Amino acid sequence: MKLRLYCLIPVLSLSLIAMSANAELVVIVNKDNPATKMYLAQVAQFYLGGSTLFAPVELAENSPARTEFYKKVLDKDAAQVQAIWSKLLFTGKAKAPKEFKTDAEVKKFVSATPNAMGYIDKSSVDDTVKVVAIVP
Amino acid sequence: MKKILFALMLVPAFASAIDLDDEGTWKLTGFYNLTGAKVMSGSAQGSSAPWTYQKYNCPCTIQNWEYTGVYEKSKGWQFDQESLVGLQLKKEFSQNLSATVQVVARSQNPNQGSKPTVDWAYLTWQPSADSNWTFQAGRFRIPLYYYSDYLYIGYAYPWVRPAPDVYGWPVYSYNGANVSYRTQLGDSDWATTVSVWTGSYTQGNDAYYSNIYNNSAPTSDAWKGILGGSISVNNGIFDVRAMLMHHKETEIINDPVLGQSTPVNDASTTIMGLSANMDYKSWLIKTEIDHFSQVDQTQGLNNVYKYALVGVGYNYKGFTPMYTYSRYRTVAQPIEGRDTQIFSLRWDVRKNMALKIQYDVSKDKSTYPYPFFGDNKLLSIAVQGVF
Repeated sequence: MKLRLYCLIPVLSLSLIAMSANAELVVIVNKDNPATKMYLAQVAQFYLGGSTLFAPVELAENSPARTEFYKKVLDKDAAQVQAIWSKLLFTGKAKAPKEFKTDAEVKKFVSATPNAMGYIDKSSVDDTVKVVAIVP
Repeated sequence: MKKILFALMLVPAFASAIDLDDEGTWKLTGFYNLTGAKVMSGSAQGSSAPWTYQKYNCPCTIQNWEYTGVYEKSKGWQFDQESLVGLQLKKEFSQNLSATVQVVARSQNPNQGSKPTVDWAYLTWQPSADSNWTFQAGRFRIPLYYYSDYLYIGYAYPWVRPAPDVYGWPVYSYNGANVSYRTQLGDSDWATTVSVWTGSYTQGNDAYYSNIYNNSAPTSDAWKGILGGSISVNNGIFDVRAMLMHHKETEIINDPVLGQSTPVNDASTTIMGLSANMDYKSWLIKTEIDHFSQVDQTQGLNNVYKYALVGVGYNYKGFTPMYTYSRYRTVAQPIEGRDTQIFSLRWDVRKNMALKIQYDVSKDKSTYPYPFFGDNKLLSIAVQGVF
């Protein structure tokens, strides 16, 4: 048993390194959404509550993808984003984004919700959703 | 007070919003401010000898007008003037309909004998999940100036408190309804929100008038026929908001000796506000100018107030040092007025908790024949967060 664990750890850490090196995030919307291409500044507006036309969906807190998305698209750290949403949530101006653990869950929700928007790894994309922006 | 401090100590244990059911339709969230301050020095009419203003032993400074949070130099560090904890419970009945209640327990609440207050209680309805329209009915904070409706969500702004020179009202809530329309401006990254609200509110035992101006005589204040509107535009960097509101105010003093008097009777009042903020890269700029007008010659009222604040801050690795200047003036003699310089530092200790330190240097510009709150220097420290 012990042996197995020892074997697993290097494998796990290797795969984590591989993931973060290859990770390329894309922004997805529902297939019926008329939008075809979006600027990242527009995407940021939805994730910072500036506009409520689309309902943004989050990946779990502390997930590497979320940190990368905040840094590259929102140009903010987690505390700054939380401060902005605190204002909206405690004054009844917006709904908190739903949070999911995996790309598959985000995809499932976006494909079933007409105005939803999410971000997932490029490799997770399939024809159930539509890509509107690529995070460089 | 002890109960609230105890509750505050427990609060940071919550990591984030609490789902009360598996479907996530019940949500419990909250916020807390553990705020302490100490008056370092103060003087009035050129003398630093202790004086009294109304029931306060000065040197002293007012930092919260709504609940009369006043720090007195003779009391040293005080944590019982502005500390509070708020809980918000929200139930989503469907995609379109939800109910929200927010209860705030304050260490000091002379308006309601230290009982928790229901700051918000409302229904929200949207015609569809992606509609531009939102309709709400119930109780709200009046969204007068930029920080008015989230004045107590300390985590959401860089200071220990938004400048009290600008944020001071006898009435701050309304029972009524509002409607908002949000839209994207064309294909740009500019979004706009237009809101209209209407309602009224009567503050039975109004601490603002009673404690600050009427020698503790019980005073009630009513704002009736409130009709307000705001338009805001933002593109993630710039955020500009304009507001106009009209209402009729009636202030009734029930003096135990002098009997009842009505210094303000159904007086037409207009309040305007304009704010412009920038949040670009690491730089923050906060500005606003506001105007209150209540002129009625038949009642001898010439209440015109002018307020402004401007602040510049810089965010570096979770630290936000900021310099802010605020002021207010009345126009009629004797003038009441104040200029304040605010040096503040916010540190995002973790994702949902901030530590703040602030030093205020304030000059009393009033021309009352008696000493008012006077000049003062105040050191404040706060732990503020959300969950």
